[in-house]
Amino acid sequence: MEEMELIFFEIISTVGTARSAFIDAIGLAKKGDFEGAEAKVKEGNEHFLTGHKSHAKLIQKEASDEKIEFSLLLVHAEDQMMSAEAFKILSEEFIDVYKRIEEGS
Amino acid sequence: MINILLVCSAGMSTSMLVKKMQEAAEKRDLEAKVWAVGDSESHEESKKADIILLGPQVKYLESKMKDRVNNEKPVSVIDMRVYGTMNGEKALDNALEAHKNFNK
Repeated sequence: MEEMELIFFEIISTVGTARSAFIDAIGLAKKGDFEGAEAKVKEGNEHFLTGHKSHAKLIQKEASDEKIEFSLLLVHAEDQMMSAEAFKILSEEFIDVYKRIEEGS
Repeated sequence: MINILLVCSAGMSTSMLVKKMQEAAEKRDLEAKVWAVGDSESHEESKKADIILLGPQVKYLESKMKDRVNNEKPVSVIDMRVYGTMNGEKALDNALEAHKNFNK
């Protein structure tokens, strides 16, 4: 399989897994399992970092004037990355909110 | 004929894996239908599947999907590395294994 496609799939699989972990974290916080939620966030962060490193390869290529060709798959990879990051931020906030609700009850 | 449904968020990245899995099935003379859909069509499509595989991006849908099929069919998540390397052979192996273990 083409080198570029492999990098895109590397990104999609890792940040996608991260995204899922952050979403799971929110679900766990909702059930009151804050320890589980925080563990999921940690897991998500690790996968996100791996994906980020793969993404850095693309940035390096563009920086050395090796143009990255447009493809729907590339857009999907970028999209998944931003989505993962958004859920990362939200998961932390949601954990706090659910904790606050639990404390108040 | 085994019907393997892949679900991901838009059905896009999984379609490459579909192709690889279909090729792997052909190589071993296995009659298999492999196709991919996004979460929005997954409920309808799951009715035609013998096994449902989720892309890592929609791993969080695992329990919801199991409920949707009333636990009558195996639902499992594609391993991140298998997905990341688009390993059709391994993905097919895992699908067949999950199917075999489910019916026990």
